[in-house]
Amino acid sequence: MTNHLSRRGALRLGVAAAGGLGGAWALGGCSSSSAADRAPMQFWNNYSPQSQGDPNIVAQSDWFLDATARWADAGERPVQMVYIPGYTDPTNTRITTAFASGDGPDLFLISPGDFLRYYNGGVLTDLTPYMDQAAIDDYYPEALATRTVDGKVYGLPMEQEPLAVFYDIPSFEEAGLSEGDLPQTWDEMLETGRRLTGGQRAGLVFDTTPSYYQNFTFYPWVWQGGGDVIDPESQEAIFDSEAAVQALAMYGEAVRSGASPRTLPAGGDMVGAFTNGYAAMWHTGIWQVEAMRQNAPDHPYGVFPMPTPPGGEPTTVLGGWAFVVNSQGVDPDAAARFTVELMGSMSQESIDAAVQWNGVAKGNMPARRSVTEAIGNTGSFEDPILQQFRDEITPTGRGEPRYPPVVYKAVSNAIQKTMLAGADAQQQAEIAQSAIESYLETYEGGSLI
Amino acid sequence: MSAVSVSRTAGQSSGARRDQRPANGKAAQARRERRAAFWFLLPDTLGLFVFVAVPMILAIVLGFFRIDGFGTFDFIGFDNYVRLVGDPQFWSSVRITLLYLVGVVPAIFILGLGLALLVQQRLPFVGLIRSMLFVPYVISLVVVAMVWQFMLGERTGVLSRLAALLGMENVSFLGEPNLALAAVVVVTVWFQMGYYMVIFLAGLQDIPGEYYEAARIDGAGAWQRFWHITFPLLRPTSFFVVITATVAVITGGLDLIFVLTGGGPAGATTLLIFYVYEQAFLFGELGYAAAVGSVLVLVMLIWSGLMFAVTRGGRVDNE
Repeated sequence: MTNHLSRRGALRLGVAAAGGLGGAWALGGCSSSSAADRAPMQFWNNYSPQSQGDPNIVAQSDWFLDATARWADAGERPVQMVYIPGYTDPTNTRITTAFASGDGPDLFLISPGDFLRYYNGGVLTDLTPYMDQAAIDDYYPEALATRTVDGKVYGLPMEQEPLAVFYDIPSFEEAGLSEGDLPQTWDEMLETGRRLTGGQRAGLVFDTTPSYYQNFTFYPWVWQGGGDVIDPESQEAIFDSEAAVQALAMYGEAVRSGASPRTLPAGGDMVGAFTNGYAAMWHTGIWQVEAMRQNAPDHPYGVFPMPTPPGGEPTTVLGGWAFVVNSQGVDPDAAARFTVELMGSMSQESIDAAVQWNGVAKGNMPARRSVTEAIGNTGSFEDPILQQFRDEITPTGRGEPRYPPVVYKAVSNAIQKTMLAGADAQQQAEIAQSAIESYLETYEGGSLI
Repeated sequence: MSAVSVSRTAGQSSGARRDQRPANGKAAQARRERRAAFWFLLPDTLGLFVFVAVPMILAIVLGFFRIDGFGTFDFIGFDNYVRLVGDPQFWSSVRITLLYLVGVVPAIFILGLGLALLVQQRLPFVGLIRSMLFVPYVISLVVVAMVWQFMLGERTGVLSRLAALLGMENVSFLGEPNLALAAVVVVTVWFQMGYYMVIFLAGLQDIPGEYYEAARIDGAGAWQRFWHITFPLLRPTSFFVVITATVAVITGGLDLIFVLTGGGPAGATTLLIFYVYEQAFLFGELGYAAAVGSVLVLVMLIWSGLMFAVTRGGRVDNE
């Protein structure tokens, strides 16, 4: 039998369906209003939940899930982990648009480069009232400084990620070089880069894409010569200093002389570049240790600290992500307590959690002294390269600066034009200096350090 | 007499009714058609209004505000537009966009038309050839950019190695400011030409075959047939291609630039649309980005209007 639905019947059905939906919505509204007090807080991040088979990624994801489960088991408002693909890319628009529409997450991870935008926007919660002074003092000053404004802590770093130069041992051997030839000065670095360049292989890779990341990798070359972009004390622009000019000139010379490529080999994948003979040295960060362990565990490579200019001081930059709490979220108080209990308390649980994160799940440098000490006893840093990062490289580090976009862009333009368009370093430094100076005349917000 | 007269009157009346009935019928049909047209057009009109007109108006309004991205809107009048006039990076991106436009649109036009003329012929596997030429257009631009990034890669890319064989050692297509924009133009033309080939092909198939037969009988050669028949009769299609390609070039390509060059090297590929994106989402300058976007819309409207005025909408019956 075939059922034909008349027009009137269809109309009746539509009205009934609409009524049903309306009723369901109304009932849903009633029930959700009673449950609103316990609605979970959203934690936007780039680690969890992830179901990839790689044990390390699973370990990182589980670290977050375990932490949120413990929190919920204690009867607190639940925290829901929300994985955001491409989260670490500063050009990811998702979090920006969420805040612009008044719907930002309750908790999120933030890099120093983005800190001031959110702080100046008034959406970061002061975590200081939730912390003991002992816990604040437990953080390495360079890790906490860029998350602190006027003595108040607005973000808790999970880690410190220093930069160094990674080198591919087979490439060195092929060029007749050994560990004794590892460069210690800028001149040696460029000369070694030239010697290692040939065929499909780039000798020395610096980041080339205009981005916050490229600026991040550039700052320590300026600091090594005693320079800076903005003087942390006087808050005045000092980018036209000799130190900044020589760093810009070094980048320009690296490309001009053929020591460095104009674009990143292997699409920016250091592991792929090393294993395929596309790069011999790469200026990058500690996270590549884990990437090599996962993807090319048998490939021989090494690390050396960033070489220095004549009379310069060994200096690197420390990146890393921090927990922050949205002051306009559903329950900033609960989110702040969750953050501090997990990341910034002197309780054994908090220290153990950080040991698990830095020593086991992530394999990077802790942001707290107590965690470094605790990891020292666990044997997690048996890898000699991690030990080198811990003992030799990280102590020379300075936190990644938190410069607003205009300052970032001025420096980025100078790097790009000197490095890739053959512009004069002095002239570009002066143009950037002028742009930063005029911006600082009207800038209002957290200090630029 | 009176009977005749009555009969005539009756006949006139009946004739008038006969004349009136079709007239009434036509009017009723016209009303029905108008009603049908209204209901058919309504969804599209609503869609255009909600998803195009309203956001466009809102974007124009946002251009008069300073917006911090965290809920603060300060009315600042024309300040964003004043800033724009004195912003060297805005003008640099305008210059780059114009160069991109000049590189892409003529190439798309010539190649699209050339390919359409080619695949109009009775060639073996012509269906397959048409499909292969159209395929790049349906691939995600991100994928297109990644594939070309590897092909153009310094030292390792296929094209870089080919260039090395031709004596151009260590050429960096994406790392040299002078070459990067040209590389972006080539990639854009590569993925768009198939689409415009299809548009031209549709236009070519609308030209009646009798014209060509008559021209052949008159002894016209291939070039004369193209120049005196094909090209003039393709004017509406050409108009459509120029307008849509210009709009596509000026307002599109963000994902391509984003993946392929990131706007570099040294800003050499920072198109206006990339600049808008950078201002809005990288720098949080939503009001300023809206102002730049509004100028872009205004320029496009003026351009389209001029094109319509000069070519009378690409009409062919103006001679």
